[in-house]
Amino acid sequence: MAVRVPVMIGRPHAETVHEGFLRHAGFRWLKIALSISVIAVTSYLLVDVTPRHNGGSWYGYALGTIGVGLILWLTLLGVRKRAMTRGCWSLKAWTSAHVYLGLSLVVIGTLHTGFQLGWNVHTLAWALMMLVIASGIFGVCAYAVLPAAMSANRDEMTQAQMLDSVRAIDRQLHEAAQPLPQDQAEWVERALRQDPFGGGLWARLSGRYRRCEVARAQKVLRAAGIAGASGSDPLARIDALLGRKQAMLARLRRHLRLRALLEIWLYVHVPMTFALLAALTAHIVSVFFYW
Amino acid sequence: MSFLIRLVSHTADEREIVRASRIEKPQISVGRAGGSDVHLTDLAVLPYHVCIERLSGRTLSVRAVGTLGFRVDGKPVMRAEIDADTGAELRLGAHRITITAGDGDEIVLSVQRVEALSEATIERDEQRAFSLAGKLPGRRLTAWGLLLAILVGFLAVPIISYASRPAIDTRNIHTVKGDAPWSSGPLSRAHHALEGKCESCHEKAFVSVRDSACQTCHTRIHDHASAPRIAMARAEPGLGGKLLDRVAAAFGKPPAGACVDCHSEHEGAGPMQPTAQAFCTDCHGSLRERLADTALGDAADFGTAHPQFRPAVMKGGADFAYPLPRFERVSLDARPNEEGALKFPHDVHLAKAGGVARMARRSGQGDALVCADCHRTSADGVRFEPVEMERDCQSCHSLALETIGGTVRTLRHGDPAQVTADLTAYYRSTPPARPAQLEGAVRRRPGLYAQGQVYAAYFGEVSRRPARADDAVRAVFSPGGACYDCHIVAPPGANGKTGWQIAPVHQPMRYMMKGWFDHRAHSTQTCESCHAAPASKRSGDLLLPGIATCRTCHGGEKARAPVPSSCALCHSYHAAQGAPWSPSGRVAGRTDEGG
Repeated sequence: MAVRVPVMIGRPHAETVHEGFLRHAGFRWLKIALSISVIAVTSYLLVDVTPRHNGGSWYGYALGTIGVGLILWLTLLGVRKRAMTRGCWSLKAWTSAHVYLGLSLVVIGTLHTGFQLGWNVHTLAWALMMLVIASGIFGVCAYAVLPAAMSANRDEMTQAQMLDSVRAIDRQLHEAAQPLPQDQAEWVERALRQDPFGGGLWARLSGRYRRCEVARAQKVLRAAGIAGASGSDPLARIDALLGRKQAMLARLRRHLRLRALLEIWLYVHVPMTFALLAALTAHIVSVFFYW
Repeated sequence: MSFLIRLVSHTADEREIVRASRIEKPQISVGRAGGSDVHLTDLAVLPYHVCIERLSGRTLSVRAVGTLGFRVDGKPVMRAEIDADTGAELRLGAHRITITAGDGDEIVLSVQRVEALSEATIERDEQRAFSLAGKLPGRRLTAWGLLLAILVGFLAVPIISYASRPAIDTRNIHTVKGDAPWSSGPLSRAHHALEGKCESCHEKAFVSVRDSACQTCHTRIHDHASAPRIAMARAEPGLGGKLLDRVAAAFGKPPAGACVDCHSEHEGAGPMQPTAQAFCTDCHGSLRERLADTALGDAADFGTAHPQFRPAVMKGGADFAYPLPRFERVSLDARPNEEGALKFPHDVHLAKAGGVARMARRSGQGDALVCADCHRTSADGVRFEPVEMERDCQSCHSLALETIGGTVRTLRHGDPAQVTADLTAYYRSTPPARPAQLEGAVRRRPGLYAQGQVYAAYFGEVSRRPARADDAVRAVFSPGGACYDCHIVAPPGANGKTGWQIAPVHQPMRYMMKGWFDHRAHSTQTCESCHAAPASKRSGDLLLPGIATCRTCHGGEKARAPVPSSCALCHSYHAAQGAPWSPSGRVAGRTDEGG
């Protein structure tokens, strides 16, 4: 199941005016996260750690402890989101805090490193943390931008209706192509055989399907000299149907693309969080093992 | 001789509908064309795809009419003979035709579409189809896979590597890889040989590095002062410091003063990081508050809070009673003079004009003397060798006595008794200059032997000549004499000694006994920029520069000076006679940075 957080960005509701998690409580968590970041940066500049800042100084240990606490709490959203409640500790408040405190972790985690990065488990943990945060930023942006685009593309159709529409065209195409000679029927058959949900991850994300059999079928059948055919000609009907199917497929594919963009970040965010927890464990154990 | 055609289809709720028709023909056609006996609305089927013919009884011949074949029981063929009693399954495009024997000689063909007419029409789980599921490995699988891989690679492998070390590890440092990902950075150049041998310093798991680990190799490093005295000298930490100390103690960290407090590792390959100023100033910044008996002034930063230098100044150097001088540490602010036994005006010798300059020009030493004409650096370049009379002075201050056959005889320097003996011998063995009247075949007149005449004068002198040596000896040790000009002389009888005495000359090579100054590191500067020798009239002038001179270039550790300098640049914590430990190239690098 997709791990989705509810998105309510400034959308009016029938009963109450909802505000999204980004604006929750007048940007309360943004302000808190900003304060934390500013305090971290200021103290980093003011605290004189010798010979230079690193994770092993008292200041580094302090930032590290705060960082690991934050990471564990942020991870708990995965547990928390399965139980919706209202009020101060509503899921929305929790999500808002998750987003903004997660962003402040960029500052805390990076200052904890003292900018000493290398090919080791410590930097691995930092890099995974940054990857998780980057994917989270992508997710927030996707939730902010894509639903509107999705809604515009759907044009009040549901997913099922889009698919039904393709099916209806397919059935008509199949019927219309019955009188065709085999060499032409084969092109229609190929157009019907192509899976609208086919294509790899890249096709889903880019929305580009290079070998679209519907377009090819239309092209080939037009080349067969049907462009000027009359309305009663089966080829003319097929041409119109292929055109309709292409239009419908384009909408379906845009929809698939937007959904893929809405989902893809979670395929990074969630597994990388687990990887981060493992790297963090290795990081902390190693630091105290060889203390 | 009939075929029973059963067209099977399904309703939306999977109910089966069968429409049966009978064809009384020995041969039937199957295809997409409307005129075929068995009409299949299937674009993958040819208008006339196969022809089914009864051969005899229940044997059928099925053959493809066009170029497209068909399948019999899954096998692609162009023609086949089928026994209806045995039965068979034909597959044409998306349709299946099952051939069975019916009642009598009837043959039953069950026709059914078994594939959806298009991919889109296939029933599917909508949620899954519209999502990315199937396009990517599952999130849960990836998550647990990554978790496991990292725990194994970065936790289990290093721990196994640690646990499986041989007791005496003679492996090459580059072969030990297991716990390499745990290293937070390369070791410094000095400790490079320990790379990969983590247990050399991290002796026990979960126990922080102890001094004992360092002292395994650094056996001769001694303490800065006795432990109780250091404890007394250390400034009391503030509230935050106390908290940190308590936390550190709770985690089993050794108290302040451990080797690793100053010498941090894993800071990158190259020279070790210099010890930070703070480690010294924790005590020395306000030492006097806690150690009432200390002779040291408080020092917190070279640029802003460091006492004036207190060099070891020579006293009593001209005192005949003591063979060795005393040295007293006196602040340069008190403008101390050195009490040495040499008379040497630097200004005369370094003057650009005058007798010395003229002599220098005559002897080809340039327009005037320079410092390096007399002062030579020590082999390590750190400081200067004592001036040597024979090498550095004698080319001008000649001790030549006479020339015999082109060889110059000189008085021996440094041995007054020998000088006395040599002069005595000289006067004893050489006659005075013989008057010209006594030379050759000049005809001599009587009376030359009379009192006051040449003979009397000459031979009188000859008889008195040995006694003249005493005058010459006295002259040499008296004002205007060769020794007296530079040395402090005591006449015979003084200090209970019979002969002439010269006060021994001592030339200290090092004044700053608690600090370290390296002349080689300052070779880009002129001597005069620090030492005011050209204006010095007396050898007693202490020509050491004060701290203000140093501060024109050197500032504290964090100063915006051309050469930011921490304590360790001049001072050694583990105090010894040698240079303080300092990563090589450090200051040079900083000088470059500072322009």
